[in-house]
Amino acid sequence: MRIPELSHRRMCAIAAAVLVIGATIWPARAQFRTQLVVGVTDNINSYNPIADSAAFMASVWCQVYGCLITYDYEAAAYKGMLVERWEVADPTTWIFHLRRDLKSHDGHPLTAEDVVFSIDRMKNDKQSAKRAQVAPIKCVKAIDQNTVRMTTNGPTADLLEYLTDHVLVMQKRLLETYGDREADRNHPYGFGPYKLKELAIGNRVVLVKNPEWKDFRPGTPDTVIYRLMREPEQRVTALLNGEIQIAQFVPPHLASRIEGSARHRIVTSGSIEMMFLAMSPKREPWNKKELRQAVAYAIDREAIIKTVLQGQGRVLHGPLSRGQYAYDANLEPKYSYDPEKARALVKQAGFPSGVDVELFTPVGRYINDKQVSEAMVAMLRAVGIRAALKTPEWPTLWTDVQKGRVPFYYMGRGLMISGGPAISQYFETDESPRIGYSNPAVDDLLRKSRATFDQAEYIKAINRALSLILDDAPAHFLWQHNILYGVSNDIKFTPQPDHRVFGTSVQMNSK
Amino acid sequence: MENSATLEAEVISERRAVRSRRLRRALRPWLTPKVIGGGIIVLLLVIVGLSAPWIAPYDPNVQNLSHALRPPDWLFGANVLGTDALGRDILSRLFYGARISLVIAVMVVIISGVVGIALGAISGYFAGTTDFLIQKLVEVVWAFPPLLLAIAIMAFLGQGLENLILALVSQRWIAYCRVSRGQALSLRSREFVDAARSLGARHTRIIVRHIVPNLLPSALVIGTFSMASAIISEAALSFLGLGVPPEIPTWGSMLADGRTYISTSWWLALFPGLCIFFTVLGINLLGDGLRDILDPRLKRSGSGIG
Amino acid sequence: MLRYLLGRIMATIPVVVLISLLVFLLIHAAPGDPADLLLSDEASAADIAEARRRWGLDQPIYIQYLRFLANIAYGDLGMSFKYSDPVIGLIGERLPATIELAIASLLIAVLIGIPLGVWAGAKPNSWADNLGSVFGFFGISMPSFWLGIMLILIVSGYFNWLPSSGRSTYGVGHGSDFYIIQSLLTGNMKTAWDGIKYIIMPAIALGTGMMGLVMRVTRSSVLEIMSEDYVRTARAKGLGERTVLWRHVLRNALVPVITVVGLELGTLLSGSIIVETVFAWPGSGSLLIAAIQSRDYPLITGTVLTYTIAFVVINFAIDMLYALIDPRIRFGK
Repeated sequence: MRIPELSHRRMCAIAAAVLVIGATIWPARAQFRTQLVVGVTDNINSYNPIADSAAFMASVWCQVYGCLITYDYEAAAYKGMLVERWEVADPTTWIFHLRRDLKSHDGHPLTAEDVVFSIDRMKNDKQSAKRAQVAPIKCVKAIDQNTVRMTTNGPTADLLEYLTDHVLVMQKRLLETYGDREADRNHPYGFGPYKLKELAIGNRVVLVKNPEWKDFRPGTPDTVIYRLMREPEQRVTALLNGEIQIAQFVPPHLASRIEGSARHRIVTSGSIEMMFLAMSPKREPWNKKELRQAVAYAIDREAIIKTVLQGQGRVLHGPLSRGQYAYDANLEPKYSYDPEKARALVKQAGFPSGVDVELFTPVGRYINDKQVSEAMVAMLRAVGIRAALKTPEWPTLWTDVQKGRVPFYYMGRGLMISGGPAISQYFETDESPRIGYSNPAVDDLLRKSRATFDQAEYIKAINRALSLILDDAPAHFLWQHNILYGVSNDIKFTPQPDHRVFGTSVQMNSK
Repeated sequence: MENSATLEAEVISERRAVRSRRLRRALRPWLTPKVIGGGIIVLLLVIVGLSAPWIAPYDPNVQNLSHALRPPDWLFGANVLGTDALGRDILSRLFYGARISLVIAVMVVIISGVVGIALGAISGYFAGTTDFLIQKLVEVVWAFPPLLLAIAIMAFLGQGLENLILALVSQRWIAYCRVSRGQALSLRSREFVDAARSLGARHTRIIVRHIVPNLLPSALVIGTFSMASAIISEAALSFLGLGVPPEIPTWGSMLADGRTYISTSWWLALFPGLCIFFTVLGINLLGDGLRDILDPRLKRSGSGIG
Repeated sequence: MLRYLLGRIMATIPVVVLISLLVFLLIHAAPGDPADLLLSDEASAADIAEARRRWGLDQPIYIQYLRFLANIAYGDLGMSFKYSDPVIGLIGERLPATIELAIASLLIAVLIGIPLGVWAGAKPNSWADNLGSVFGFFGISMPSFWLGIMLILIVSGYFNWLPSSGRSTYGVGHGSDFYIIQSLLTGNMKTAWDGIKYIIMPAIALGTGMMGLVMRVTRSSVLEIMSEDYVRTARAKGLGERTVLWRHVLRNALVPVITVVGLELGTLLSGSIIVETVFAWPGSGSLLIAAIQSRDYPLITGTVLTYTIAFVVINFAIDMLYALIDPRIRFGK
């Protein structure tokens, strides 16, 4: 075997050639009409639009296929996207009237059959991760070309919250002609404002404008690219370098870097995700109500928000805050930071010399989650609750929480519009084992709320249930984060409380 | 009397001189720059690790939220190397981190050494079926790319010091096993082993008294290298969030926590990174020096991540 | 020769089967349930039970394993729970990125490590040697992820010379498969340069450790050979120092270097798992980490097996190469 000989000189020559070629190519970057690149943290998982439970992908698919309903956070009201209007015929029957002016990306009109077919697919597709969203629906019927009737299992006043952003409309024709797999991959033609141009799983999604869509505001980007960038430093660096125009989830301590740039700014939105500490009343020592209340008094939420979250959060006195559908400012009782009282309550609970517990927390899932939990551990120790911090990997923790095996944990619950479904899920007897709380009075009130179609009555019922929950303290509601976005001054962008970035909510400044 | 006393004293001092000359001569090959340089770094690590509770200015886990993210104050500061996001003193955490790195590295080296040498000696000494079975095991475990098995173990068994040590040992014993087996194979037919056997010594005794002592020099060299790689691997696993629980400060987890602050509070990630780097550098130097002396033929037996 | 090859290949099969068993047992010993993780926040207990049944997780372990083996015999690694796609296809999509990264790192290691090693070895104890040795020790002692973070901070954060993560610029190239290699082969310099810009930093982060090692092995190997008789003879014949070095010394010195490179390829492969995480490199390493995080059993098993088989194949290839270079090693032992 001969080993080719390379002299120093020849190697230098090659290196120089490479450099020269490189230098001439460098500035030749392709120019686009208008292109928005968003650095996102969530993964892009599947060609199958309903196989993904991640919140971020729901918004991407919603832009491609189109959703029946979305929620307008500014107007605090549900808004039809593919639906023109709807009505409640009786407590278990809902009628949806579809828009007539929509055409699919391959030029076909939207039909009620497509909607029925899509909901059936969400219920029956083996890979569906959206069954829970259509679970309250007993059956769907197409009444005519443009009208759909949904029958629910029982009175479900918050049906729209289940459907929001989740019910995508796929074309029956395509799925039946090509089969699910082929249709999802090679014929992803929906009714939404954007067409799917490229999907590289675990890397990026590229969307381009659908010229058929009528409701674009001026300046909406022609191309939207979502780039997966898990590391916060990377998102910020890429933003400052001009690789991306929006950096999702900027941690508070990096805000100064962006504010220091003349071409970028920070925009903030209050999240509707509640952060809370769960204390399972089914488990020792959390079966003592006084101990649970002691935790609520022991934690200085203001201090944590001010230091660990660098001011980017709002204290919660219940699961909801101003602007959310069922929020009531007069909800009682309210807990304040009172370590003396907490110490007394720990003694009252029967632990005169303190008590040992374990606090479980995810790492890297919520803003500064590990530091937040470490700060809470120190505060709990100060009142005699000797907490040891456990940080299992997310899969382990989440499985255990869902099986009801974790007595004391820090976590969040997102997408709370009215709050009803989430409150039931966590606090209604046997709805889920996540906390294991059970109170017949709360169950009654929640059941009643679902059958109440009047807004004021609905809010009253929910808040009476919440008041009982707060007193029992199976969970201590902590705060909602302010979500920071790094944004280029080349665009206008108002973030949404649900963390989603729609191309249609961005306007590019003309240069 | 006097004479004899002086004579005796002379003899003693002569003996002493001989002894110290011998000592010097015995030490001379050891005093290479690599061994000295590496040795000093390792010694420093051991001292810092052992005395962490006394030399650390603060409790590594005590938080002071109002002092969060203070930059290093080299001369007169309360926090010489600054504080982290919870106001914990970086220097104190580094000292305690040295302790954990030390514990992990030493445990891993000892356990994998004992397992590896034992299996290697048995495999080489008995040969035949025993050898075949052990070598199959070696082959299977060795077929995993380095670190992958450790990642899998940590991912599946969960965080914890014991699991971490198990994960780090999982492949490290093999280097000892292979080298020991080779040496044991050649030792088993040597005269002194034959002699012991003909005197009726039992296998256990032969292995423990005659085979194993001859395996130790090579094992020592492998040990230093696997110590270096264990420290890097621990940091890598902590970096992936697969290390020890959070109340134990380790360099790897400090680095992982600090990386999100790197552009604004660079001291969070820089110092633990430097600690890992210099420790590994020191151990590698020491290992290299030892290899030059003890076993120049022993080729690479572990470095980098793995 | 052929018999030897076949024998070697047959001998690896039981190893691979044993490895798959080990991985399978490990996975099932783990806490964490994929059905809980992959269904949405609102999923009910019935939904979760249904998913478990569909994925065969309600069966006894040995049945699951036998099924798995039967599928493997047909080259089927199953369907990923998370991506709802065949595992083999997912790995196929991601593996080229990892391989390209490994090749780039290897190039860096070899192109810098060997000349440095020769330089240091040719003039032992000179300042060049000392500098080279220090460099080599730095290389092997630097954790790759720390180097990666520092590179991002300095090279893209401070100087803005290179993109901080990813593999390609949208609109310039697709950034999939063998992006750079294909671009070079088709003569598309624009996309090739795009790919090179993205690969430089991860390749340095991954390759530095190996570079240090290659440098040190080359140095000691050159040192050894410089003192051999034939080198002295060549010198005595009046051949120029440079000719002696490049023609006689280097070729012989390369044998141990190749061995070390081969041994270290495995380290490179698994090191890429970490570097890919740092640079959001869309390779099979980040695929594995994502799979671990969602307990995607078929995907974890598939990826681990792929890595392992790749490792076995590399070792095999190195043995072959070794035998070609050094005729003293005979096939079949």
